Amino acid sequence: MKIYSRKQRERIVRWNIAHRKGLIHRKRTGSRSSTPSPAAASALHNWLTERTESGEINATINSKGFVTITLPRVMNFSDQYESTAVQINAIRKLAPRNRLFPNSLSLGLVNFDQLEAISTSAALVLTAELSKWDDHKRHRLLPRVDNWNPDIFSRFYQLGFFELFRKTAAVEKMALGVGGVGEVRLVQYIKEKTGAASKTRLLKEAITDIIGDNISKWPILNSGLSEAITNVSQHAYPESQGFSQDHKHWYLSGGYNPITKELKFVFYDQGIGIPNSLPSSEIWEKVVDFLSFVPAMERKHDELLLKAAVEIERTSTEESDRGKGLQDLLEFINERGQGYLSILSQHGLYKYSVKNGSSRVKSERFIYPIEGTLIIWKVTLIE
Amino acid sequence: MDPSGRFYSDDSGASGEQFREEHLLPALQNLQPGEKIIVILDDGPESYGSSFLTEGFAGIVKYGYMEARPLLDALEIEYTDPDYEFFEKKIKKYISEAKFASKDYKSTK
Repeated sequence: MKIYSRKQRERIVRWNIAHRKGLIHRKRTGSRSSTPSPAAASALHNWLTERTESGEINATINSKGFVTITLPRVMNFSDQYESTAVQINAIRKLAPRNRLFPNSLSLGLVNFDQLEAISTSAALVLTAELSKWDDHKRHRLLPRVDNWNPDIFSRFYQLGFFELFRKTAAVEKMALGVGGVGEVRLVQYIKEKTGAASKTRLLKEAITDIIGDNISKWPILNSGLSEAITNVSQHAYPESQGFSQDHKHWYLSGGYNPITKELKFVFYDQGIGIPNSLPSSEIWEKVVDFLSFVPAMERKHDELLLKAAVEIERTSTEESDRGKGLQDLLEFINERGQGYLSILSQHGLYKYSVKNGSSRVKSERFIYPIEGTLIIWKVTLIE
Repeated sequence: MDPSGRFYSDDSGASGEQFREEHLLPALQNLQPGEKIIVILDDGPESYGSSFLTEGFAGIVKYGYMEARPLLDALEIEYTDPDYEFFEKKIKKYISEAKFASKDYKSTK
């Protein structure tokens, strides 16, 4: 038996209702099929229709089956998690390498016009998804920025979003207004394939330029980034599930708010996610053992699997194929003595925070998944 | 190129396995009585992930090349940046915790 708080109970009820209605679909094993299928096309249509009718997604479909998604006013993975993740899910589903079936729904436009605020992590994940779409379209996408909020344009411009595309006159005109005091300053994102750990130096240089000083405990953060990159090589894109070398991308960015002195680093991969990679890892037996006190129905919950993976590595002295990699992610926060680390992967969140010398762990389960793994470090610079 | 990754197969070009097999192990095998291997941690690399350190250093013990105590005695770890003490502690911890000859080595090259 376990006593749930009201918030936890409400979350479980929401999840179970969504599950019963078939709003949540998960596939842990099996190969990634790209075979055209009318059933898959129909399922995609139903998925989008349900979310459009419920107001979760603002989408319109033209006569040729091209979908326009209008992004909401606010996107972040803290207090707007579900409404942010569902947009990202829609983009992933509507922009496969090949259309599911002739005339099946396909992404035509992502409209940013209503977007007023977006977090660094949401901006990176959105950029990564649109970059993936652009790869599929052989780099033929063009941005339409005429009605963008200037702050949003500035944020994406700094992030390097427009480097994805051929420069248009509208982009160049709006770029003249980028900047301003008091804004969060972002580092141009880095997109790399497996390995390439040395690319983290670019992030270090850019952040150092922004804050005008060295980043205290940078080597500790860098060791966490190095492990995240190793995880991409070893676990995130298994060939047994249809991934090839071409898929194995990771994305990295950072940002600094000179007003709040908050410094944030964000790493993202678009792989199968940590919970899905655990069953084939050496630590799986320990994960099962760790979760033996949890009711059987809950043992496959992503937030518990995430927590198990991190906690096992914290306490185990034995070697595993994952090394102490997840543990390395926490060390930057421990060494800085304040801040938090969030790992969002599939439907789970593991958040480790340190404040006034004491640490706290929070787990949460979401309806809509992060399709991959998103890692966020946030610390405050102390003068 | 920064040290990263556990195995050759991680495509980092500077994995723990590569460091052990191509640098540390030959140096240990050529070590004369009374000599030590000086490992300078902060002469270029940005950091060391645990995957690199466990495979690169603790792998010497795990694959049965040498016991932990003589390996620790053979290494002299140096750095000037105090942040790198973090990695020295990890190297010593991983070597101390490794079980001698607990695994057969198969190259991933």
